[in-house]
This record gives sequence, structure tokens and C-alpha cells, in this order.
Amino acid sequence: MATEARILPPRVIAPRTIGRSVLLTLPIALWSLLIFSNSFRQPSRSVQIAGLLTAVFMMALFFMMMRTWSTYRWRRWFFVALGILFPVGFIHTVMVMRGTMGIPMEEMIAGRTPFCFMPIPLLILPAALTRTVVFPGSILPGAGMSGGGIAAMFGLWLAITLVVGKGWCSYACFFGGIEEGVASVPKLAKLRKIDPRWRYGPWAVLLAMVLLSLALFEPAYCMWLCPFKAVSEYVAARNTLGLIQNGIFIALFAGLVIVLPWLTKKRTQCAFFCPFGAFQSIFNKTSVFEVKIDRTRCSPCVLCQNACPTMSLTEESIAQGNTLMSCMKCGACVDVCPKHAAVWHIKGTEVAVKPERARLMLLYAAWAMAVMFGGTIIAQGLATLLHVFI
Amino acid sequence: MIGSFVFGEALALGLSSGPACMASCGPVVVPSLLAEQSGMRPSARYLSTFLGARFLGYLLFAAVAWELGVLLALPPAPRLLMMGIVHVLLGGVLLWYAYSVGRAHAPSRPGSELVTIGVAKKRGISGPAALGFLTGLSLCPPFVIAGVRAAQLHSVAAAVVFFAVFFVGTSVWFVPLVGLGRLRRSEAVTTVARMAMVLIAVYYLLLGSAMLMGRNLYGY
Repeated sequence: MATEARILPPRVIAPRTIGRSVLLTLPIALWSLLIFSNSFRQPSRSVQIAGLLTAVFMMALFFMMMRTWSTYRWRRWFFVALGILFPVGFIHTVMVMRGTMGIPMEEMIAGRTPFCFMPIPLLILPAALTRTVVFPGSILPGAGMSGGGIAAMFGLWLAITLVVGKGWCSYACFFGGIEEGVASVPKLAKLRKIDPRWRYGPWAVLLAMVLLSLALFEPAYCMWLCPFKAVSEYVAARNTLGLIQNGIFIALFAGLVIVLPWLTKKRTQCAFFCPFGAFQSIFNKTSVFEVKIDRTRCSPCVLCQNACPTMSLTEESIAQGNTLMSCMKCGACVDVCPKHAAVWHIKGTEVAVKPERARLMLLYAAWAMAVMFGGTIIAQGLATLLHVFI
Repeated sequence: MIGSFVFGEALALGLSSGPACMASCGPVVVPSLLAEQSGMRPSARYLSTFLGARFLGYLLFAAVAWELGVLLALPPAPRLLMMGIVHVLLGGVLLWYAYSVGRAHAPSRPGSELVTIGVAKKRGISGPAALGFLTGLSLCPPFVIAGVRAAQLHSVAAAVVFFAVFFVGTSVWFVPLVGLGRLRRSEAVTTVARMAMVLIAVYYLLLGSAMLMGRNLYGY
């Protein structure tokens, strides 16, 4: 009985006190103010207001995570905001600098293409074999419209990834938010029977794209399959090839990011297609944070399995007390479990002992990164909206 | 003396351009090899069949091109047509291969057999052989370099031998792929390999169709 009282998170009894929640939020509040302090010094009122609103937004969400003991629903607000506001800020920048969302070939040749993290796995083999970065961007800081160039983006990704593993896909990726938002709209899934073999899709896309990138010496995923080209920047369609490419981008976006998430209530693009997600799964092995299933408490009711947006829990994995390596650490299973059997865990420690401490440690790392990376993107998008409409 | 120098050059050319050959054939070889049974022996058998058929493709192309006198500079229109046909066939074979893997992995099938594509086992074609032959006809950059050099030789026999030695040089780089046999096959590995084959096949079909319609896509 004493052990049970120690293990049971107190959220079943009452929310955490306001004072204690504020205290726990304090480090994130200070970090947010530090990150957005630069916005407050900008001459533009829109940038100042956007920075302030974003800082408050990020602090408030973290506070609610502390107060309610719940992770998923508050993280989702951030993630959806990031998914929606990234295209807003990005498209605005592209239009100001280039006058069009289309990337002309001369921009690619000049290496002025903004770099995103998606092609990282596609660049490794060509770089290892020929010391060539097969991406039309510069590795120098300040190059490209992202301002940071490939080296900065790579360094940032590596640092974050080593700590949170595939948590990147829940706290940093600026693409997954749109489908998570769409998936949250319908109350019930209309399409419930999904062949579990679709889970291998991201690995297949990764394998095919890595091999094609090496053969063609170009980031094949960006050229042919990225659904998010539809809401960021497309290929300037000056010929049939461009039209075909853009047609593929739009069809994939409509299918994987809008229609299927609506029908299944899953993050279908992330779960069944994204090659970067598959690559990122490997780093769940280096991250110390994970979700475990405490077999002594599990009924099993499969509520966690149904709640998982990426089908990263199966009956077999639950029986073994684990999630699959595709787990994105979003917290949906932990929050939904009525028996508190799904728990946050730090590798090397005993399962289900002080899981809240594990959650706090993950959240401090993940949220600090979210404020710095996603928060600045949200602020940029917000500033754009304020600038246009106010 | 001059002959041995030329063939030494062919070997050196093959060895130096082998990584480019492997990169060019990778989208075909790697997933189809992963779709085969696990074990070093099946992998070695796959690679020897693939490379043997690729060798035949090389020699056939070298002999025909030399006889027609077009080895040095194949005109753009027939080159595009040939490349288009090869890519469409490669795409078709890869699709068929991906489909055949499901049937080939039936419990009744002996584990050491390679995947055959075709309606019936006796009339089926060895999958690796079909893929190897088609990649042998594909105009990858190292192949073109070897073709240019072979065209300067005095006879068709010399051109064919040049290509044979060049082939040996490039094939050395394929040997490490036997190691993929050590990867334990499961439903996950086979499914990933089959899905990847379908994706790559669609890409080749798209590329091949564009070429057949006279559209020269960048990179080719």
C-alpha cells in the first residue's frame, strides 16, 4: 500500500498547487524571456507584441502541464500553433525576398535555398563518399534564407536529437502540427482498421530516398515527395517536370496531412510516410527518456494503443512493457491511461518509480528547445499576421 | 605491351569509378537483395547472378554499339529512346519483383532459391538476372566513360574485352553488399524492401515515360 501511494501520481487526487506550479514554471519563464528579449528591443510593434504573446503562450502551456500533470493536450496547442504559423512566416519571408513561393533553378544553383532538417539523412552517404553536400544551399553561416545555413541547422538538430531522440517529432518539427490539428477535429475516427504494415512506410521511403539521392546526387525527397512543399515553397513550374513535381506535393499534402488524419485521427504523414521520422527513431536509442508500460498495473484496456497518434504501441509491445522505437514521446498514452500504467521513464532507473520526475526532466529539455526553436517560428508567424492585419 | 596497358587502364577505370557504379545501381540492388532470404550464401548467389547478367548487358551493349559505330557518341534521340525503354523496363521488373517476393516467401518454397518473376516457377525469370541485365544496359556515367575509351580500340573484340576488364574493376565494389545477407530477415525487413522497390519503380517509370515522350529530364 505504501509502495502504491509512492508510485501513484497525485493528479488523480488534485491538481498541483498554483504556487508549486509557478515555481516549477520559473526556469522556463526565465528562458522564454531570455529568448524573446531580443523581440522586445525591435523597433517594429508587431515583432514586440508577437514576442510577448509567444513568451506568455509558452509559459502558460508549461504552467498548465505542471498544474494538471498532463502533457499531451497542452503540447498539442503549441505544436498546432507551430504547424500553422510556420508556413505563414515562411511564405511571407519568401514573398518579400523572392516575390514568389516557387524556387527558380538559378536560386538553387546559387545555393540560396533555405535548408530544413528533412534531407539530413539523404545527405549523409553522398557527403561521406564524396565530401559533397547534395543540397542547393551553402554550409556557411548566413547563407540561404534561413539565415543559419546547413551547418547551423545540422548542429541544432544534432544537439536536440541526442537528448530527446524522436521527441524532435513532437516538440521541434514544424511540419507535424497541421496534421495533429486536423486529427484532433473529429470526435471519432471514421477509419479504424489500419493494416499495421503501413508502419514500415517511413523506413521504405527512407531507404528509397537515401538510395536515389546517392544515385542522382540530389535530395530526392525534396525534389519529389515532400508534402510540405505545398505550404512552403514549391518548384517553379516552368516545364512539365515542375508541374508533375508540384502535383505530387499537393496530392501528398492533401492525402497525408488533411484527409487521412481526419479519417483516422492519427498523424498519418508522420506514422506512415516521413523518412526523417524513421531516421529520427534510431536516436530513441541514444535518448535517456522513454515511455514504459508498468505491467503490474496494466489491465490491458488498449486505450493507450488507440490514443497513440503514430501506432507506436501494439499488444505485443504492451505485453513487453515497451513502446515501439517510433514513439515520439508526445505523452498521449501516458495521459489517457486510467491505471497510470503508461509512465515516463529514464533509462537505467526502475520502471514506474517517480515517473513525474522523469516527465519533468524530459519536459525541461524538450520545452527549452521548443521555446528556442518552435517559439521563435511561432513569433515570426504571429508578427507577420499582426503586421498584415493590424 | 600496349594491349596490357589498355586493359590495365580498363581495370583502373573500373576500380576508380566503381563507387559511382554502385551508387547508380544501388536503388535496384539494395532493396531487391534485402527482399531475398537471409544468409551469406543466398546473398552471394544473388550478387553473382545480378553481376553475371549485368556483365552480359555490358558486353551486348558494347558489341552492338561498336558495330554500329555509335559507341563514341550515341546521338541524343536514340540515346533518350534507349534510356527510356530501359527505365520503363527496370520500373516494370522492380514492380513485378516486389509482387513476386510475397509469393516467393511462402513457407513451401526452399529458402535458398532466388526470387523469380513470372507466372509459373518453371517459366519464371530469375529476378536478379533481369535486373542485372537491365542495369548493364543503363547508361550510367562510368559506363559512358568506358564506352568512349573502348570506342577508340581497333576491333569489336578489343572493345568487348575492355568492357569485361572494366566490369571486373567495378564489380569489386559490389562485394561488400554480400554482408546484407547477415541482416536477419523479418516481416519488417521484407515489407520495407518491397515498399521501397515500389517507390523506386514508380520513379523509374516516371523518368522512363518522360524520356520516351522526348522530355530530357535534368541529370540524364
